[in-house]
Amino acid sequence: MISLVFSAHLVTTGLGPLFDGIGHAVVTPQDLLPVIAIALLAGLGGKAYARKVLFILPAAWLVGGLLGMTLMWSAPLGTTALSFLILGGLVVADRPVSEKTGMALAVALGLLHGQMSGVEMQAAGIGLVGILGTVGTLFALVSLVTGLVVSLERPWTRIAVRVAGSWIVAVGLLYLGWTFGTRG
Amino acid sequence: MRVPFLVAMFTVLGAAPHCLPGGPAPAAAHEVRPGYLELRETAPGVFRVLWKKPARGDMILKIDPVFPDGCAVVGIGSETIRGGAYVARATLECEGGLTGKTIEIAGLETTLTDVLVKVYYANGLEETHLVHPNSTSAVIGGPGSVVQRIGAYARLGIQHIALGVDHLLFVLGLLLIVSSPMVLLKTITSFTLAHSITLGIATLGFANAPALPLNAVIALSILFLGPEIVRVWRGETSFTIRHPWVVAFAFGLLHGFGFASGLTAMGLPQTEIPLALLFFNVGVELGQLAFVLFVLALIRSFRTLEIRWPRWAQLFPGYAVGTLGAFWFIQRTVALLGGM
Repeated sequence: MISLVFSAHLVTTGLGPLFDGIGHAVVTPQDLLPVIAIALLAGLGGKAYARKVLFILPAAWLVGGLLGMTLMWSAPLGTTALSFLILGGLVVADRPVSEKTGMALAVALGLLHGQMSGVEMQAAGIGLVGILGTVGTLFALVSLVTGLVVSLERPWTRIAVRVAGSWIVAVGLLYLGWTFGTRG
Repeated sequence: MRVPFLVAMFTVLGAAPHCLPGGPAPAAAHEVRPGYLELRETAPGVFRVLWKKPARGDMILKIDPVFPDGCAVVGIGSETIRGGAYVARATLECEGGLTGKTIEIAGLETTLTDVLVKVYYANGLEETHLVHPNSTSAVIGGPGSVVQRIGAYARLGIQHIALGVDHLLFVLGLLLIVSSPMVLLKTITSFTLAHSITLGIATLGFANAPALPLNAVIALSILFLGPEIVRVWRGETSFTIRHPWVVAFAFGLLHGFGFASGLTAMGLPQTEIPLALLFFNVGVELGQLAFVLFVLALIRSFRTLEIRWPRWAQLFPGYAVGTLGAFWFIQRTVALLGGM
């Protein structure tokens, strides 16, 4: 069984809730890697898709965070591993996804991971300021990664992006094994 | 150079802790001053203790060292409030010395303050620890290397600029004004040179600026940039827009005094000041450089993605810089007048 309790991995920087939120986004691989994966995917999908993900993902994350803070309910831990596998797998495949599917992925990622963050931040007493720190950081991260991928022109660079996706899938598999093996 | 919405968002986010209820007061943007605990060995197991912690008037930060079991304060100590710091002196006797024992700073976890712990051994060696709110104790393990001390001072510098939202806002304001990479290079270099000069002067004790008026003038420097940013957006020009490095240098001198508060409050011994000054400044510059590169990378990404920002989003950064500058200037001026 997959654990229904999401273990807290909140970063406490000691610099206040905003920096805690920023730190959470930057050093929490459970959130960081799926975000990088969707940013890679968005970059591979072109400027129009990248622009939409850039705004939709942080918005969904904010909504998810507020829901998490309010409801104090977390999605199963296995959700994280699935995010790695699905998004990383799509980057590896490098097949065009429809606009609706692409947007749905961004919304789903934002809502699910955002509410996990919201629960943790509420529990740690960081609250809305921390979520704003995380959302702002994700906005910056997605813009940097998508901007970089969109600007890549040589064919081998696209392969390099797909390789990065494969690493995310590999991490997802490891994480899934860890989830079932030691957390169940 | 126009920086669109995200930087504005970060501007507000960065300022949020200083504007939201429960956050540090804007007037205290430079008040993340560290504490300083010095233990000077005078005989085996006997240490002369110097303890300094930030104070503002009669308000003293509620942090205090907790010495390990087997240590006891002996004789009559002293305590005073001087130069914005609470200063206590005492003699500590530790059975078997301090090696391997833990010193904790009680109450640190509820603050934004660091404490530098220095131990001077009778044989001339020394040991340094930087204790943080999320790691409130230090294990005394023997003399620390120069590299460790360098790391501690550089980290202090990075932290000082990361928390000095007003410094970053000023740099952001400069980035919004400059028109070319060469002008940007000159402007940032001028700012760096200027604040390095006054940081050095203040830390070496040749001059200092009182905190309250200094903070008010630093806020004024941010407010000053607001109208200039709007002028750039309107396609107008001014002396500041044509020669931003001159303004960066002039105001940089003031900001340097602000940076110095991160070091002077510790009252480091004279022998330690050159190393501390150098690497604290290196930390400040690294933090500032990282911020500039971050903003430039974002600008490049937004251009690559061809994001068309609505008019209000284009104007927002300039108004955010100006409004926050005005807000802080008024608040700090009120604090200044109230303190007179």
